Amino acid sequence: MRRSVAVLLALVLALAGCTSSGTGKPKPSELNGFDQVGQFQGAGLDPAQPRPSFTLTTTSGQRFSFGTVTAGHPTLLYFGYTNCPDVCPETMADIRLALQKVPVALARLTYVVFVTTDVKHDTGPVLAKWLSNFSGGSLATFVGLRGTQAQIDAAQAAAHIAIAQDDGKTHSAQTLLYGTDDYAHVSFLQSVNLRQQIEHDLPLVAKG
Amino acid sequence: MRLPWPAVVGGTLVVALGATGLVRGAVPQSLASGSSGPSAAGPIVVTGAYVRAPVPPTQIAAAYFTVNNTTGTDDRLLDVSTGAGATAEIHSVAADGSMQVATNGVRIPAHGSLVLTTGRAHVMIEHLFGKLVAGQSVNIELDFANAGSIDVAAPVIAVGAPVPTDSGGHS
Repeated sequence: MRRSVAVLLALVLALAGCTSSGTGKPKPSELNGFDQVGQFQGAGLDPAQPRPSFTLTTTSGQRFSFGTVTAGHPTLLYFGYTNCPDVCPETMADIRLALQKVPVALARLTYVVFVTTDVKHDTGPVLAKWLSNFSGGSLATFVGLRGTQAQIDAAQAAAHIAIAQDDGKTHSAQTLLYGTDDYAHVSFLQSVNLRQQIEHDLPLVAKG
Repeated sequence: MRLPWPAVVGGTLVVALGATGLVRGAVPQSLASGSSGPSAAGPIVVTGAYVRAPVPPTQIAAAYFTVNNTTGTDDRLLDVSTGAGATAEIHSVAADGSMQVATNGVRIPAHGSLVLTTGRAHVMIEHLFGKLVAGQSVNIELDFANAGSIDVAAPVIAVGAPVPTDSGGHS
């Protein structure tokens, strides 16, 4: 069962690779290879995706310009929602655990940005409380962002992430990792290897 | 043990979420919660069951397990109910993160297995009866088309905690 899914996935990815190889623009995120690219353990992005610019609102109601504030910092960017049973909390937990394993100086430098796709229900206090389960005690800077539906859609488009549907409950499971060079060379999907992948790849993108 | 769960911090928010959260047309469960024997060693063997505790302030948990079909005939997991919450739905997660509800059950091929694992598939447990924290144990009843119903006890673990390697036995 597992194998057949993997084969199917490989086929889909192979097809995706064929169709998008002719164009020069970045491939849609979901179609990027799960194959390792070069030194990375996560899913390599080829071509690399530039750090996007979008402005949203923090859990305490302040404007946050992603491109400006996080520029030059290793940054993990994820779009999800708090009432998510599986992928979102697991991803954030894995990010938290990976950050405990990397050098302290690197963890301090790193931003973890969670953008909620559930515009209606993820209020500032809900998002702040939920994020505190993962940010507590971490040396990295965790930021929870909210916005109007149009703003969230635009932010996902800017990050080349598939735009969430169904009030944000069907969303991309992709975590983008931007390096100090302000490009994402690698991204991650939720799996049992996610923590190790981030732990391995984060120091690589911090070298510049 | 019927705690008024709006008593949790931020009660009004939790109520608001509960009232308008993602409620889908799940089959209502009648929770007989008869704590009969452990996981059967019959034609269907369930292993590695565990439940992820909810992340506050959310009130949603997820259950994971592996079902092995030792017979030469396909079976179907038709329904899941738990002692933790009023509704339980089998969800599969596609590669793009989109979730699908397995409304017609899930096939377990002859001599095959169904693996519910994080990022791939889970049972979403909603409308919790009370606080669900690591260290507790949840009774899960799995109803199969051929094998009938099988009960397993699943330990509750915190999000981010390592997945138990095997919980087939007693907790």
